[in-house]
Amino acid sequence: MIPAAFPRSVAIALLRFAIWIAPHDSHDWGHAMLNELNHVEGNWSALIWSLGGAGVLAKHAVLAFIFPGTHRRTVTTASELFDKEGPMRKTTVAAICACVVASLLFFLLPVFRQAFRVSLAQWHDVLHVGLTLGYLDSDPELDALTKKAEQNHDAEALAFVAVRARNQAESARLADEAVHLDPKLTWIYAVVAVSWPSLPEIDRWVLALEAWDPQNALPHFIVAEKIDIDQVIREKIPHHVDEQPASWQNAMAAAFQSSKLDNYLGRLKDLDRRVFLRYHLDDPFQVSGEDGWYGLPTYASADSSSYAKSLLESGQTLEVRNDRKGAFEKYLAVARFGQMMSPAGGFFLRRELQEAYKRLEALSQGEGNQAAASFYAAVANQADRAHYEALNSLRNRVTGSGVSHWNASLVKTSGLANLVCCGILLTCMLGVIVRGRTLRPSALYPSSLTLGLGFGAAAGALVSSSVLFVSYRPYSEILQRFIHSGDDDGLSELASFLADAQLPLGTQNFLGSWNVVFYFWSAVTVLCVLVVLIAVVRHFQTRPRATAA
Amino acid sequence: MKTPRLSPQTLRVLERFLEQPTAWRYGYELSRETGLKSGTLYPILMRLAKYSLLETKWVTTEDGVPPRHTYRLTPNGVELVRATFANSRATLKARRPAFSGGRA
Repeated sequence: MIPAAFPRSVAIALLRFAIWIAPHDSHDWGHAMLNELNHVEGNWSALIWSLGGAGVLAKHAVLAFIFPGTHRRTVTTASELFDKEGPMRKTTVAAICACVVASLLFFLLPVFRQAFRVSLAQWHDVLHVGLTLGYLDSDPELDALTKKAEQNHDAEALAFVAVRARNQAESARLADEAVHLDPKLTWIYAVVAVSWPSLPEIDRWVLALEAWDPQNALPHFIVAEKIDIDQVIREKIPHHVDEQPASWQNAMAAAFQSSKLDNYLGRLKDLDRRVFLRYHLDDPFQVSGEDGWYGLPTYASADSSSYAKSLLESGQTLEVRNDRKGAFEKYLAVARFGQMMSPAGGFFLRRELQEAYKRLEALSQGEGNQAAASFYAAVANQADRAHYEALNSLRNRVTGSGVSHWNASLVKTSGLANLVCCGILLTCMLGVIVRGRTLRPSALYPSSLTLGLGFGAAAGALVSSSVLFVSYRPYSEILQRFIHSGDDDGLSELASFLADAQLPLGTQNFLGSWNVVFYFWSAVTVLCVLVVLIAVVRHFQTRPRATAA
Repeated sequence: MKTPRLSPQTLRVLERFLEQPTAWRYGYELSRETGLKSGTLYPILMRLAKYSLLETKWVTTEDGVPPRHTYRLTPNGVELVRATFANSRATLKARRPAFSGGRA
């Protein structure tokens, strides 16, 4: 329990501290307030008295720090006396208005509007508690596009939203609708199936994909992926290829016998561009949406290495049996499939590919075919270089460049500064209006501090808007180049920048953003409690009394 | 001459001083009479004193109790404020006070 005199003791200590930090010419006033404390009735009233006085002295301390050497002077006329309290000073107000108008003018630029939306992305996970807790969330822009696409019977737009839908049933429905309208879009089944590998529609889709593009290995990978995921869910993961079910082995065998591996990302990018142009979309997050794991099923791609190993082992067995032709075919199957995987995910099969070329080289040398042996050695070398290039590209995509990190931080900081400045400006305006109880500018009486704060906030809004615009502009150009000319050179840089822009300021990864969510909502709760407490205290303080003092 | 404008809070303080122009007033007493908090009242007093419209004095009221700071308008202050009131009273009367929940 708090002792009754505790608030008064705090009040005295607070005022003494305020006197200590106050400029010398305010000490008399500080002592005046301190000595009046002896006559203030009630301990809590004394504390409130002290808080007000300390605030005044603190303000003087700050002003003395910023504007040292101010002098006392005397006045002789009434107008000079009240200059300090005259209506808002025109120069300052004009400067504030100019800054605000200039900041607002930025919003006329589509690039700036886009930049502002990107700067707000860091708050998405913090404010959307449902999404943070793992619930499905909808995207109003995508929902609107879905409605338009369905009204227009636009198969490409339906395919566009099918790839981005956050609900797997909805994604499957939209993909079916798109293919029903335009069978040429059957490939969208593969893209959606890679994103949602446990869909019940996958068996039907695989048949359609095999009929539409029979040479592609991807449908077989999708079948293997579904089996892999089922094994993971049931916690019955085979340790060797021989333990895999026949359906998995058949799918892998069919994939390794296929003549191509197309993840359809090229087609998807072209479709994206057409939909972006047709519906005047400008959300950069929708472009990088498909820029995931090379568009290949993850488990099946990783398991292709086990299957390749088993092929190499069976090739060795055939070699021992002197079946050189059979062994050659096994090694060649691994080498061919490894080459097909290279552009999409060659790192999965790097060792097996190198091993296959070594065996092919050795077999050719054994047969006295030096030209073929040299050829396989050269191809192995080339494949190794391609592997490192793919690995570097992946590393860049995952970690991003220093420039994109820096620019994302600038965009996030300037966006946040912009919001804070607008908040301060609005608070100052509301404070002045509430104090004056009028909207007439000539009758408003802002203090020097309010004017200073207002000007600082307006200037801050202008500077942060400029920084936001300049930092984001290069990424807007990348987006426009891609949409209008199909140039996808900077897309990985854009994806890296957007990935960083989504992380709350001050966090390095998505794990940290959970802490931000916690601290943000804790701070909001504490502030709400404080506001309620202040409101209750003010209510009792300002309640009319029966008798005037 | 330019008509000076007053904040409603300053007006309340000056009105209290004008009721008894020669009397010395305490800060807490003024706070109770005007309903202004210390954070609002003292900047007004400081500004008035800064422009030599208010004179201040330390007085000892009883033994063992620290002296109190007291205030009253200077003759110059009384004259200037009266002149100002004469010009602006009509306008000011039409305006509602900024805070109507005071104790006074």
